[in-house]
Amino acid sequence: MNVKKTLGILLALLTVAVLYAVFFLVPPAEGLGYYVRIAFFHIPMAWVSVLAFLLSAWWGAMYLRRRDMRFDALSARSAKLGFLFVLLATGSGAVFSKLTWGAYWNWDPRQTTIFVLLLIYGAYLTLRAAMGEARLRARASAVYALFSFLTVPFLVFILPRLYFSLHPSPVINGSGSIDMDTSMLLTLLASLADGTLLYAFLMAEGKKEPRKEETP
Amino acid sequence: MKSSPWHDVRLVFLKEMKSALRFRAAWAAMLMFALTTLACVSLAVQGGALSPRLLAALYWTVLFFASMAGIDRVFEAEDSSGTLLALRVYGSADAVLFGKLLYTFSLLLALAIPLTLAFLLLMDVTVAEPLLLLLLVLLGCFGLAAAGTLVAALGLGASVRGSLAPILLMPLMLPIFLPAIFVTAGAFGGEAASLSFLLGMGLYDAVLTVGASVLFPYLWYAD
Repeated sequence: MNVKKTLGILLALLTVAVLYAVFFLVPPAEGLGYYVRIAFFHIPMAWVSVLAFLLSAWWGAMYLRRRDMRFDALSARSAKLGFLFVLLATGSGAVFSKLTWGAYWNWDPRQTTIFVLLLIYGAYLTLRAAMGEARLRARASAVYALFSFLTVPFLVFILPRLYFSLHPSPVINGSGSIDMDTSMLLTLLASLADGTLLYAFLMAEGKKEPRKEETP
Repeated sequence: MKSSPWHDVRLVFLKEMKSALRFRAAWAAMLMFALTTLACVSLAVQGGALSPRLLAALYWTVLFFASMAGIDRVFEAEDSSGTLLALRVYGSADAVLFGKLLYTFSLLLALAIPLTLAFLLLMDVTVAEPLLLLLLVLLGCFGLAAAGTLVAALGLGASVRGSLAPILLMPLMLPIFLPAIFVTAGAFGGEAASLSFLLGMGLYDAVLTVGASVLFPYLWYAD
């Protein structure tokens, strides 16, 4: 059995298990009720969009080091998937925000962070679309992916200090402890694994050799 | 005879200055673009009383979009005259990057100073802390120059270069703009923000400069 098929079967089983847990096992959360169910889709999407950004920059760095177009193809594919996931994370976050805070958007620090990521992905894909020659495109987009990665410390450490946040505490809160019901925590971890597996499956699904004119 | 790196940077800087003085139309276009942007904002507000925070946000938005007219042109002279290859052959990546960065920084300051004065006049703003505002403008312009020089090099060979710079630059500049808006609001008489934001801006400027110097050679030298 090949890797892609194994990934597909694992993904299907885990997705069914996560859906069952979200709709039948997870209790309503204090202050959020059953709206908390959105979080089990929203958090994995946000996680995968950050992971895809990191890997896109990593494959960009690998391209600059080795000048192998396969790394450029991986970097581009990861960015395209990341863009899709960041759109879904932004949309699901906006719905959660409307249901719990009464507005789709209020520039909460985490909304700002995800929006900056959306802008970076959009800029990266626009740059790729604007470059005609394959090697020039690979070089420019790899440099941009790495350069834009410099914003990450700001988004993680400085931005939360600038604005007051209504966003629920992360899984591990400020005191370093995990403040979450066990079934919720297990479901969240399973949904994160499911999201990561979906990303791996889609990366494997789209993997192909670079076109002949793009090879060195 | 081997020249020092600073000597090469100086030569690139002087070349840019001479080239800029020769093409005065580019300066006029940049200043007029800045004035037009500011006039649009001022006309829209029509003398209404705005909070220091809103004034600060408008100020940095105008400065960002006005600076695009200068940043777009960082490699324009060489690209349009076909001398990019000559610069690649005779100038090291570091000399070109830092020479152009210093020139862009000077250009942005030359733009920011009249723009700031016009903004204060047209928007009827009283500056409570002028030195703080000056420091913010210096830090903001340096960050724009560092990121802008690399972004301008990224756009070489792109089919839609004109509109590419603001798209690529905006997400990179947010770590400077957001703290700058907070501190500028304080300088405009609003609630004073922590001065540690200034340190953060300075650090981010340094990170952008180091990042640009590490990545620029990959763009400058062909495969």
